[in-house]
Amino acid sequence: MEAAVVDAGSKILKAGFAIPDQAPSLIIPTQMKRMLDDGSSVDNSMSEEVTVDPVVRGCINDWDAMEDLLHHILYTGLEWEVGNEGQILFTEPLCTPKAVREQLVQLLFETFNVSGFYASEQAVLSLYAVGRISGCTVDIGHGKIDIAAVLEGAVQHIASRRFEVGGSDLTKVLAQELGKSNPMVNLSISDAEKLKEQFACCAEDEIAYDRMLRTCETEEHTLPDGQVIRIGREKYTVGEALFQPSILGLEAHGIVEQLVRSVATVSSENQKQLLENTVLCGGTTSMTGFESRFQKEASLCSSAICPCLVKPPEYMPENLALYSAWVGGAILAKVVFPQNQHVTKGDYDETGPSVVHRKCF
Amino acid sequence: MYGGDEVSAIVIDLGSHTCKAGYAGEDAPKAVFPSVVGCINQMDADDDKENNDSETNNNNADSGKPKGKRKLYVGSQALGFRRDHMEVVSPLKDGVVLDWDIVDNIWDHAFKDCLLIDPKEHPMLLAEPSSNTQLQREKIAELMFEKYKVPALFLAKNAVLTSFASGRATSVVIDSGGGSTTVAPVHDGYVLQKAVSSSPIGGEFLTDCLMKSLESKGVVIKPRYSFKRKEIQPGVFQTVDVDLPHTTESYKLYSQRVIASDIKESVCRAPDTPYDESSYSNIPMTPYELPDGQTIEIGADRFKIPDILFNPSLAQTIPGVDNFAEISSSARGLPQMVIESINRCDVDIRKELFGSILLAGGTASMQQLKERLEKDLLEESPQAARVKVLASGNATERRFSVWIGGSILASLGSFQQMWFSKSEYEEHGASYIQRKCP
Repeated sequence: MEAAVVDAGSKILKAGFAIPDQAPSLIIPTQMKRMLDDGSSVDNSMSEEVTVDPVVRGCINDWDAMEDLLHHILYTGLEWEVGNEGQILFTEPLCTPKAVREQLVQLLFETFNVSGFYASEQAVLSLYAVGRISGCTVDIGHGKIDIAAVLEGAVQHIASRRFEVGGSDLTKVLAQELGKSNPMVNLSISDAEKLKEQFACCAEDEIAYDRMLRTCETEEHTLPDGQVIRIGREKYTVGEALFQPSILGLEAHGIVEQLVRSVATVSSENQKQLLENTVLCGGTTSMTGFESRFQKEASLCSSAICPCLVKPPEYMPENLALYSAWVGGAILAKVVFPQNQHVTKGDYDETGPSVVHRKCF
Repeated sequence: MYGGDEVSAIVIDLGSHTCKAGYAGEDAPKAVFPSVVGCINQMDADDDKENNDSETNNNNADSGKPKGKRKLYVGSQALGFRRDHMEVVSPLKDGVVLDWDIVDNIWDHAFKDCLLIDPKEHPMLLAEPSSNTQLQREKIAELMFEKYKVPALFLAKNAVLTSFASGRATSVVIDSGGGSTTVAPVHDGYVLQKAVSSSPIGGEFLTDCLMKSLESKGVVIKPRYSFKRKEIQPGVFQTVDVDLPHTTESYKLYSQRVIASDIKESVCRAPDTPYDESSYSNIPMTPYELPDGQTIEIGADRFKIPDILFNPSLAQTIPGVDNFAEISSSARGLPQMVIESINRCDVDIRKELFGSILLAGGTASMQQLKERLEKDLLEESPQAARVKVLASGNATERRFSVWIGGSILASLGSFQQMWFSKSEYEEHGASYIQRKCP
């Protein structure tokens, strides 16, 4: 049986058997709703929907919810049989604390009784998905942005940065802006999220953005509950926030500048190799116009070497950016499990959860 | 006594240039960031807004305003963003901690932002300079136990940790870091205090010399924030200077130093023979591309700057290096410091010390330094001694060798009984640290 690969993001969880060159079979939202004990769901008219987010900002926060979610994925989604569980590969963001890793291993081996486990960082996996072992990844997800430099499959922590900003903050900005220009409309966060995915785009450069702010035509859009909303320049604000974080209220440089500065801390002989193999991944990077704006900003950045984006191979599915970490995990699973480099049940029983730090890096 | 089970210790090395922090047992620190912080004095910023002039240093005592709080920005990300009136401040001066508030903020940043851990759950191993005073150690213990409530603490001397990292109990450790160079002999895991010598010539001094040397040749290093690229025609770019009048001098200097130290690390190498103006005047120039696109050629400076480590009086020949008089009293060349240090030790161990000389620190990862040092020491050492200079081949390992030694030490089984635990602190007080951490 193939190993299972699970990439638990803050918004979307990707899972499937390790068959590379294919999209994951299970792409479901990570957010769950709490059900009352007698099986009936919370009455909507009485209170707000109680949503549970097991993964916050990339890290697993609510372990009970995570357990339920994994139960659903493994037994219902991937149709594992109780008593015959296979091997599983998990992806994790940068700077995952050791304690979280150990807790995950403990959960999988004790509650789910898997036969083998491996964990790897999402940055390395995204590079494997495009066929490289060295380069930079810019992973803009729902809960966090990771900028990582990878050399020969090992993350250079000195040159990697993590930001607690992501798609969810962009949604809040969009909701705020739309609230200002459409004061009559009552907009919920989930509606704003859908609007963001449909309409958000990036202006070509700063000058074009300033122009858009002044002279953009508005479109009308009907929300599911019947209200009509006008969207104009707000859709460009969302994309611009990544390149000018002052829109989000943060004192930081834009994405490209951060990438260039983090890579500058690595020794110069490697800088060229890193910047010329830059990979964009994560849901937010599939915004219209993001890639071309990134390349434009790259040529204007304060560095002698400009970041160059890598083109994914043709045999990979479309929209690779959304689940490149999963695809990389599938590729890695095909190497690690057959060669017995993973953590087996025997290792776990003998040493305990800390064995994961020795075997998975 | 603290018997931790399976809980990872955290190793922190707060150097004069960078702070390294990470889990014990790993082979490299996860959090590496500058140990200087950006500081905005609230009063300066308010004054400027009110008076609209740039005199921010004669702060009027008669204004009646309460002393403003200052805001600190720690970490490479926060420091990399240029802010008005942000000064760059270092907590250390000559290796001694002066400003504990800044140190506190640095540790906080390492725990909460970089490693994402809760200090209450991890024993801490801190690296300290080889000649640390009792007062400083007590203050560290107090800060760690009272504020961060760590379960256990240990303070280890830099030289001892480097020694462990190379697997030797007896050696002479040359720690050439950002702020200074220290030579300390270690015997059976203990530093011989009377033989420790230090010199203020470190990586930062060399960077300053390089900067002055380039300035005297007309090269202007533009900090990254001070220029912008504009595309005037498709494919043709022009660099435009951005004028930001409220940037402080210290920030400008700091940004220039970052670029200059990158030049130093990629281009400089230690010469095989002592530097001599005439013989090095004809060597081919190496090009280096600055961030703003300017390409500069570096010739003799490639060899002159590293030779300052061996011959400090060379720094006088660089125009603009004006504070040399104050350091010349304690500055000696590296080989002289090593010989002097070994001669202050017991006669019996000198032979062993000569045979294991270790190089550590960022500046020690300069190319050819090991070979040149070995050669110089062979000439100056007594006849019978067999001189051997050891340095790990990997530049990253040399830079972090103190941290790596700490990582090894904290993960040893036999070390677990040596921790200075919270209960011992509560029972005996901070001064007990002198007994527990020799």
